[in-house]
Amino acid sequence: MKGSNDYILWVDNVIKTFEGIHALEHVSFGVKKGHIKALIGPNGAGKTTMLNAISGLLPPDSGSVYLNNQQIAGLTPDRIALLGLSRTFQLVRLFTINNATVLDNVLLGAHKHLNPSIFEAMFYRGRMKRKENEAKERALNLLKFVGLEGAEDALPGTLSFGNQRLLELARSLMTEPKLLLLDEPASGLNDAEVESFIKLLLAIRDKGITILIVEHNMKVVMKIADDIIVLDFGKKLAEGTPEEISKNQQVVEAYLGTQKNSCKVEK
Amino acid sequence: MKILSRFWWILPIIFIAIYPFTLGGNSPYKSGVLIFVGIYIILAVSLDLLIGYCGQISIGHAAFFAVGAYTSGILTAKYGVHPMFAMLIGMLISTALAWATGRPVLALKEYYLAMATLAFNEIVITLIIGLEGFTGGASGLGDIPPFKIFGFSLVNHIHYYYFVWIIVFFIIAGSLAVVKSSFGRTLIAIHSDEPAARHFGIDSPRYKTRLFMLSSAFASIAGSLYAHYMGFIAPDDFGVISSVNIMVMLYLGGIGTIYGPILGATFMKILPEITYQFQDYELLINGIILIIVLVFMPKGIYGIILKAINRVLRKV
Ligand SMILES: Nc1ncnc2c1ncn2[C@@H]1O[C@H](COP(=O)(O)OP(=O)(O)OP(=O)(O)O)[C@@H](O)[C@H]1O
Ligand SMILES: [Mg+2]
Repeated sequence: MKGSNDYILWVDNVIKTFEGIHALEHVSFGVKKGHIKALIGPNGAGKTTMLNAISGLLPPDSGSVYLNNQQIAGLTPDRIALLGLSRTFQLVRLFTINNATVLDNVLLGAHKHLNPSIFEAMFYRGRMKRKENEAKERALNLLKFVGLEGAEDALPGTLSFGNQRLLELARSLMTEPKLLLLDEPASGLNDAEVESFIKLLLAIRDKGITILIVEHNMKVVMKIADDIIVLDFGKKLAEGTPEEISKNQQVVEAYLGTQKNSCKVEK
Repeated sequence: MKILSRFWWILPIIFIAIYPFTLGGNSPYKSGVLIFVGIYIILAVSLDLLIGYCGQISIGHAAFFAVGAYTSGILTAKYGVHPMFAMLIGMLISTALAWATGRPVLALKEYYLAMATLAFNEIVITLIIGLEGFTGGASGLGDIPPFKIFGFSLVNHIHYYYFVWIIVFFIIAGSLAVVKSSFGRTLIAIHSDEPAARHFGIDSPRYKTRLFMLSSAFASIAGSLYAHYMGFIAPDDFGVISSVNIMVMLYLGGIGTIYGPILGATFMKILPEITYQFQDYELLINGIILIIVLVFMPKGIYGIILKAINRVLRKV
């Protein structure tokens, strides 16, 4: 299966333990090229842990992760990023030191294209400026695309939570990823914002970018996902189309049921 | 007003250029004070690259100051090497040391990093004292000749003054070019959140090490300039206390600004010239001024000046 070219991502038998907590136990699944796949499950199910294992932030203890048939488990996040993977974070992680602006944050996404060196910064300023201006134009277009037009000079801290998430999304898109991992990107958005966010995700998919999204908001999941995987206590509970998942008795009990009880639809 | 805000930097350059003929007169002592200011500006600015921009706290910056000074001192005084070459060799040794130690040392965080750089400073000083036959040991190394450039000896203190300041300006300009470029933005990302920065393809150990090499090369230049100006150097000039002094200049002026450490170094080197008349109370007064600035001006002297300028501009 992992040899198949249909899958951009293939996760094979991944295990991750934190001091006795089995955060991921033998989890395997694939993400098909051009799909939006949703990763759902109750709080503490291991969803963020899975994204961390894939992106290299906290590599798996054992098991394999293939990106375009290339083993990436154990590589550093920067190497994995260069192979075409980008992500956003559940707790927003923007760059804020030294009054870094919204535009600076998006431009950082262009790091692998700019690939700056000290020598260039000192002695080839013209060439550097030209590359930078091209990146700037692309960054402004992306800010417009995610709906943050005109915010380029603001400090990230002054944006609303929802907008900070959109900024993270723009920064990731700036890397021109093949696969995008999103960790609860719709939390903190109101109903109207959720609607336009759904459109945005579909537009990103239409650009040919594959998406693996962790999302609590079932409305979003059911509307956009081609395919869903459900985790519970670190184990894969089910996998299938939105229809199959919503009919799956186990899922309804373990996840959708508890969700109702704890009123945990979105934070 | 617009012209002033764009070309204000010409004013300090004019001041530096005419100082030896005006305020400084022909006094070697008075131009000497500004030579020291220049040398410490190089040290504080290069440390700002590391601490203010990249967030890598080093309490061992004087180690590279020492490497530059001793390389220049030993090679010119004992082996008759041309000072220009000696300075370049010092830079090479410093960059090589930074390259070799950069990855393991800069992989440490916060206190551990501070302790490791402090230990590095101590090791360098211990080596200097230990290798007595080579370095003159604890009693110091003398007979360092004046700097020479294109066969022209800079014995005259005014010539040396201009030489030092030309280098200072190039280093400031180079540092500004680096921090304002996309390289500088990369440093800020590493400073803000290194694990997140790595998710954007930034090989942070490599970037930190490269910056460390640049910063060390600059400190080494300062060391060479110092050795040729003093003619005599001793390990005491380069200990941890010296590293801490550079740090104080940086925080006093305002970190992460380049202009801050310039002001901080100037302030710290000029202040004793003003307070020396209080003799016994000199240290006390310096200490009190320092504490006041550090406690009440968290953004340093540069922060205060920016605030004042903004206030004036708003009224205008
Ligand atoms: N860095 C870590 N150190 C220790 N334990 C961790 C760490 N990260 C996650 N865990 C634990 O692993 C388990 C899975 O956590 P994870 O964050 O992956 O859940 P999640 O599915 O993303 O939940 P949520 O919906 O709340 O975001 C939890 O028990 C959590 O406490
Ligand atoms: Mg999570």
